[in-house]
Amino acid sequence: MNDQHTAKAFDIDLQDIARMVAEMGGLAEKQVADSVDALAKRDTTLAQRVTAADSAIDALQREIEEKSVLTIARRQPMAVDLRDIVGALRLANDIERIGDLAKNIAKRVIALNAEFPPPKLIRGVEHMTDLVLEQLKAVLDAYARRDDNKAMAVWRGDEEIDAVCTSVFRELLTYMMEDPRNITCCIHLMFCAKNIERMGDHATNIAETVHYIIDGNPITERRPKGDTTTIPALTGA
Amino acid sequence: MVYLYLAGLFVLVAVGYLFGRARAKAAADTEALHSRPPYHGAFVGLSIIAPMLLLLVIGLPIADRMIVNQALQTFDPTVMSDDLRRGVALRDITALATGKYTGEPTLALRQAADTYASLRAWTYNLILAGGLVVGLLGAAFGFRSLSASFRARNHVERAVKILLLAAASVAVLTTIGIVFSVLFETVRFFERVSPFEFLFGLQWSPQTAIRADQAGSSGAFGIVPLVTGTLLITGIAILIAGPIGLFAAIYMAEYATPRFRAFAKPILEILAGIPTVVLGFFAALTLAPIIRETGESMGLNVASESALAAGIVMGMMIIPFVSSLSDDVINAVPQSLRDGSYAMGATRSETVKKVILPAAFSGIVSAMMLAISRAVGETMIVVMAAGLAGNLTFNPLAAVTTFTVQIKTILVGDQEFDSAKTLAAFALGFVLFFFTLTLNIIAMQIVKRYREQYD
Amino acid sequence: MNSMVQVKQSDAEGAAPGLGVKPKVIARDVNVFYGDKHALKGVNLDVPARAVTALIGPSGCGKSTFLRCINRMNDTIPICRVTGKIEIDERDIYDPTLDVVQLRARVGMVFQKPNPFPKSIYENVAYGPRIHGFAKTKAELDEIVAGSLRKAGLFEEVKDRLQESGTGLSGGQQQRLCIARAIAVNPEVILMDEPCSALDPIATAKIEELMDELRENFTIIIVTHSMQQAARVSERTAFFHLGYLVEEGRTEEMFTKPKDQRTQDYITGRFG
Repeated sequence: MNDQHTAKAFDIDLQDIARMVAEMGGLAEKQVADSVDALAKRDTTLAQRVTAADSAIDALQREIEEKSVLTIARRQPMAVDLRDIVGALRLANDIERIGDLAKNIAKRVIALNAEFPPPKLIRGVEHMTDLVLEQLKAVLDAYARRDDNKAMAVWRGDEEIDAVCTSVFRELLTYMMEDPRNITCCIHLMFCAKNIERMGDHATNIAETVHYIIDGNPITERRPKGDTTTIPALTGA
Repeated sequence: MVYLYLAGLFVLVAVGYLFGRARAKAAADTEALHSRPPYHGAFVGLSIIAPMLLLLVIGLPIADRMIVNQALQTFDPTVMSDDLRRGVALRDITALATGKYTGEPTLALRQAADTYASLRAWTYNLILAGGLVVGLLGAAFGFRSLSASFRARNHVERAVKILLLAAASVAVLTTIGIVFSVLFETVRFFERVSPFEFLFGLQWSPQTAIRADQAGSSGAFGIVPLVTGTLLITGIAILIAGPIGLFAAIYMAEYATPRFRAFAKPILEILAGIPTVVLGFFAALTLAPIIRETGESMGLNVASESALAAGIVMGMMIIPFVSSLSDDVINAVPQSLRDGSYAMGATRSETVKKVILPAAFSGIVSAMMLAISRAVGETMIVVMAAGLAGNLTFNPLAAVTTFTVQIKTILVGDQEFDSAKTLAAFALGFVLFFFTLTLNIIAMQIVKRYREQYD
Repeated sequence: MNSMVQVKQSDAEGAAPGLGVKPKVIARDVNVFYGDKHALKGVNLDVPARAVTALIGPSGCGKSTFLRCINRMNDTIPICRVTGKIEIDERDIYDPTLDVVQLRARVGMVFQKPNPFPKSIYENVAYGPRIHGFAKTKAELDEIVAGSLRKAGLFEEVKDRLQESGTGLSGGQQQRLCIARAIAVNPEVILMDEPCSALDPIATAKIEELMDELRENFTIIIVTHSMQQAARVSERTAFFHLGYLVEEGRTEEMFTKPKDQRTQDYITGRFG
């Protein structure tokens, strides 16, 4: 779609930005998968690798910002081009946050240091991760294809993650109450679950941005939400 | 001979050009040329033309003079000191040499003619040969200069510049030459008649007597009547042509539809093409009687040849000048100024009056000045319609006369070229020249002062 | 033909900033022909009062033609024919009883190239008031001239040389002089036909700044080739293409999310 400008170099600029965003998204997906993998397999080496790899995402974000600012200054983009670039900036921001969250999970894996909670509990977190990764993949795909319907599907699909998150919290709470020695590892796990839930929120943000790029209008309808509280399990308990 | 020389020149130049170009083309295969091949060719051509023309222009007159002198020496050395006899002898010699002599030539003449003919043939051959040599030398020089890095283009450019400069100089030198030749005769006139009397005398009757005892032998050379006559007629003409021409121009440029304009403008310009003789007899035979009758019916005393008739017709003559030039300058006023004025809510006439005329003012003034110059210099109409009488008057109904008419009158018929009467013509011409020069300078000042830079 | 045009009445009322209760200029089904050429095709447009409306579009799209309809400058072109209706304050300006001179006193115009008259700065500004007899005394005229120059942001620069020629000013100053000349007759609408296209960026910025001030008192319609300029100075933007008014709306929306694909292509630089 960005291949009909009178100034061909403009097309190339826009394509470069889009490509960098896609690359960044791919990296972030891998980071998320790896971090949770490290958690599940109690693999501190993998966790360390994830921590180290985050800088690549940060570097890409800076690059996208620079390129975007330069393109705005140089081309004075209008309408869809302007939304494209502004959208890319926002996407880069969200993806960078997702990368940070994955890094945070990896750090917690290192901190747990063999004091892992039972796999039963981790399975819930893994399930959440699968859902989030699916969302993330879908929304990045929607961005690459400029597919508004797909983006909107992601935007509406966050509900399930929230629900799983709530149930994970409840489980962890029960476990902690059973034996106070579990509290440390359960708190870490709780934060991991929270991080993954946040990733889901970023995925919906991305979906909103993609919708804005394509449509030009912010989403006006209200997002379906099963539960509005941050830690529903606690209030529920 | 000259034709042969020029033909040879042409051939040499053509060959030189082709060779120069071909050589440059060949060189271009191996090296990058500074100048394109035609310039190389042109350079070779120029290095042939220049020396050959120089030889012809300088050599031919010198050779001619030498031949003539030699022939005259052979004929009779004593004729050299006497211009008249020298001329006669020379005419005879050349006539005999070219076979046009009628009658029986004397021996001396025959010898002189033989000398003349043989010398002539010999020198001409010499010049032809010399031209060939010089041309070939030039060609050699040109060829030697050629190389890939040779800046032929620059040299050719310089040659073009010199050629153009020469053309410009001819125009300027001609003007200066004319001025000086008139000036010298004027000085001679002032040796006979005092400048004071000439410039301020109120009487003009240049008929000096051929014999001392004739009546009216004194002659009077006061130009004041001519000045007034010229001013009167020119004034009437510009009074007619100025407004009419300007208004016509405004109509053409601002109001007329393109179709009307396309049809009317050429017709108006035809008026400029009518020979002044025709206008003159129109003035004398049609207009002057009408004026006289009209005047007499009103109880006025009108001369049959009046300044008014001449002035009106002269005005008609210069209308196309005023209108055509004014039309051009009005059209040169940018459309954006008109738009600006209309957009302010100005009407067409307000726009013309307040924007277009001020903007075109300098151009209109120069158009008027040109028309005046033309009117001042006009002769025919005045001769036919205004008469010859040097009356000192501002009455448009009287007969008056002008500079040009007097110059023409003085010089028509057989003249002695050293009488005050004849020389007066040059003095008049000089004054007339001075007059129009002043007009032009004034016009230039006005144009400079009020010129608007549109872009 | 009207399908090409989107004039949303709902949009015109209330929603747009600067759009009063009644539009200042209303164009309905305006067609312009130059000889056989159909230059403007069924244009409908509402122009809000005391706001800047930008007309954009590629060269030859009819935007200048439309602009010149509003003060009937097209009348000066013999082969030009205008049909349809244009109203200013609900008065049809093509009504035969309406005097074009009076219309043009109400609708000022500033041109692409600064075109000060070859007169003094003072006389340039005094031109309109003199023609229309606005000033009874010299003092009144002085006041109008000074006031107009002040409004055009030029007074401080030229107050000491009012008698010097207007053509001696710089390009930007000349254009502000032309604006001063236009506002000297206190028009209600000012038409600007690419007023900055011959100016450098600084002079352009000054003119834009000036327009920002003028919008409080005047209805401004500007034709511009610079999308950035349209985006900067105008409240509403109309996009013309091939003689049609393709899209019209609030400037913010036109430049971030135009509805018509042609508008999108034009403002993003995708026209072939």
